[in-house]
Amino acid sequence: MPALPLMRVGVWLIVLGLFVTPLALVVALAAGGNQIPVLLDQGLGTAVWNSTYTTLLSALGATVVGTAIALLLDRTNARGTTVLRLFLLSPLLIPPFIGAIAWLQLFGPNQGLNRFFGTEIWNIYGADGVTFLLVLHSYPIVYVIVAAGLRSIPSDLEQAARISGAGTSTVLRTVTLPLLRPALLSAFTLTAVANLADFGIPALLGSPARFETLATMIYRFMESGTVANPLQTVSTIGVVLLFLGIASVTADHLVSRWAGSKLQDTGQALRFDLGAARWPVTIVAWVLGLAVTLGPIMGLAYRALLPAPGVPFTMDTITLDNFRRSIANPRVVEGFSNSVTLALSAAVICGVLGWIIGLLVTRTRFLGNTALTLTVLLPTALPGLIIGVGWLILGRYTGTYNTMWVILGAYVCAFTALVLQAVRAPLQGTPLAVEEAARISGAGRLWALLSTTGAMAIPAAFSGAVLVAVTAVRELTVSILLIAPGTTTLGVQVFNLQQAGNYNQASALSLMFAVVGIVALALTVRSPKVRS
Amino acid sequence: MRHFFSRRTTLAVTAVGASAALLVACSEPAEDTATTAAETTAAENGTASTAAATGETTTITVYTSEPEEKVDEINAAFEAANPDIKVEVYRAGTGDLNARIAAEKESGSIEADVLWAADSATFETYKAAGDLAELQDVDTAGLIEEAVDADNHYVGTRIIPTVIAYNTDIIDEADAPQSWADLVDPKYAGQLVMPDPAVSGAAAFNASVWKNDEQLGEDWINTLGENQPMIAQSNGPTSQEIAGGGHPVGVVVDYLIRDLADAGSPVAAVYPTEGAPYITEPAGVFEASDNKEAAERYINFLLSEEGQQIAVEQAYLPVREDVGTPEGTPPLHEIALMTPDLQVVTDDKDAAVELFQNAMQ
Repeated sequence: MPALPLMRVGVWLIVLGLFVTPLALVVALAAGGNQIPVLLDQGLGTAVWNSTYTTLLSALGATVVGTAIALLLDRTNARGTTVLRLFLLSPLLIPPFIGAIAWLQLFGPNQGLNRFFGTEIWNIYGADGVTFLLVLHSYPIVYVIVAAGLRSIPSDLEQAARISGAGTSTVLRTVTLPLLRPALLSAFTLTAVANLADFGIPALLGSPARFETLATMIYRFMESGTVANPLQTVSTIGVVLLFLGIASVTADHLVSRWAGSKLQDTGQALRFDLGAARWPVTIVAWVLGLAVTLGPIMGLAYRALLPAPGVPFTMDTITLDNFRRSIANPRVVEGFSNSVTLALSAAVICGVLGWIIGLLVTRTRFLGNTALTLTVLLPTALPGLIIGVGWLILGRYTGTYNTMWVILGAYVCAFTALVLQAVRAPLQGTPLAVEEAARISGAGRLWALLSTTGAMAIPAAFSGAVLVAVTAVRELTVSILLIAPGTTTLGVQVFNLQQAGNYNQASALSLMFAVVGIVALALTVRSPKVRS
Repeated sequence: MRHFFSRRTTLAVTAVGASAALLVACSEPAEDTATTAAETTAAENGTASTAAATGETTTITVYTSEPEEKVDEINAAFEAANPDIKVEVYRAGTGDLNARIAAEKESGSIEADVLWAADSATFETYKAAGDLAELQDVDTAGLIEEAVDADNHYVGTRIIPTVIAYNTDIIDEADAPQSWADLVDPKYAGQLVMPDPAVSGAAAFNASVWKNDEQLGEDWINTLGENQPMIAQSNGPTSQEIAGGGHPVGVVVDYLIRDLADAGSPVAAVYPTEGAPYITEPAGVFEASDNKEAAERYINFLLSEEGQQIAVEQAYLPVREDVGTPEGTPPLHEIALMTPDLQVVTDDKDAAVELFQNAMQ
């Protein structure tokens, strides 16, 4: 068999094993009985509506914010972008439920700023708070994908427009943004699908205001014991989410048929001169950037330094005990090393798998390509708990239960979509000519693909893999059902502290690994070399 | 090519990642062998009741919702007293425990030996499904009657009452509410916080107890709703909200308030005069367990004077009268508990949750 079909078969086998099987197990669980009437009675309709509109709004918001940041940081001459980039990426490193706790410090009723000003500026509980936090925790993903897309836009087109007399905004509006369309679409779909499944934010900010999403509804059925067969019921909600996921991925697919354009990546990127607006833009960007990122970090630090909530913050009361106790806890140390190992392994596997799948679905014409994309993206739409259930059962049948392997498998299943979405846009943009040139020079079809287009997509795959690593290292809901003695993860440790009512130590722990993460990012992230 | 990540660091990170992957690949089989060894030991234990004599170690697995730090202390003491038994713990919230158990049943049999979590209602469900073994050698003499199951399939290990708590910076001790009836006073409008009965099993139980109480009943729940309490997800966030002062008066389990007060938070608990609904965090042995004898020894330790002493030090109310109560807490017999008919309360739970939700809209 020729090399390319062989690879396709191999990829499909992996996808069947790691993606289709666990999802099928969930569907099979749901099919065991008709739970829809019970669910409708319990407010399924409202939850679907709440999930849908917060998801769409937050994905739209994240796409706008993430794109604006990408343009600002990578394409303008605003000052201090290298450091600013680190701050702006920091929400990636804070687990969403910890982010929610941190923002509660600032905008909860009678808390933080609301107390400081003696009047309620903003009550964070409710749909608006949920949407805001979802935007905040997903725009960095958009940034990484759009930044990768921006790099593949040839600057000669922008320069041509410039030469013809177009101003910065005209170039942006008529050249850059239209060319970014595939990347924007990838980013929008990914954040929409991922926000659909987010649990921590609606749990902490939505539930107290009686605002229920599908993910918190799952939790409610799991916890309360008010339904006869919780596993079957939540699997049914999982299937509802699968349908929503299928709808959004299909929409993505339909739109992307018109969005695709083949471009040649040439030369250095253009930096727009902001002119007189340079300093105002820089200042506004820094103020906003610091407000949304340092704000919650300060909130966390405030919490972490106090021994307990309600203790006044003075030099006498603050203590490093929460940090000391976190480090002294053997399970935290174990969870840290497990999470780092799992995150790096998942990043490597997802990076390679996502890169190959991206090549297959964008660069070859084959009937099953859409199905392949769909299958890889779908697990992202499922709350981690449901992926956990699927993998738990799969693990029992394959003998990997209670080992690290089952968690690693679940991570690959849950996070490969991050890499696929990061590579799809740049891959779609590469012209067919380069592969043809390689083939003319005698390369086989697979080699021509890998050595030309494939090689060009490696930076995007790497960005995607970094996203996988930072997401997996703080991940909670996938692993909570799969851990065993010796295979606990960092996210589960933080969550256990939070559940035990120990918010202060949970804050200390999350603050420590946010800082470790920022340092790690600082070492890997370099600003693109760009001439101005 | 222009990179978001510089090429050198790309290489370095890839190398680190690859070696990490290799490390996992190398270390994992070893762990597998260890698991297999443990499983073999476990399998042998059907015949190894004499394990202690021959110096073999039995490993039991406990599924619990106890906070990790607390279960660590218990296990250390247990293993010191029982060197032939090793305890492994899977710790998660009750809902996650239920999910794990259900998924294990779906694909074979339950892997744990001991379940130690939640409330009688949860255990009644497992008992009805035939998942729990009848306890053979668990010593319930000396326990208060609230802890004992008549069918002897599980036994309560702590008394966890739900009480009224308040922030002492904001509310004077003299003004603090003393009874459930006090909470409907309009002066507490917008000041209250309580856990969500639709999410927390214990809170659902409480709602049903209140609804079926002669003095309180539906009227009390409806009037309470007029004070617009904040509904937090569960007990943890509720206690934080009280201590932080966001809502200075709340309804919450008592030990969280003692924990916070010990750590310095300005909070205090009041045992309501009408009585407090409570759960007992029972322990039971799974029918599928191969280590029933070791599992029962573990439960016996939880109930023993030493085990209960630890519970008291960990700010819990014990299930024995002879170990005292945590500092600053009235003695066990002075605390009024609401002891309704368990069957009535369980059957009426769904209706109570619905009533509660409608009242709090």
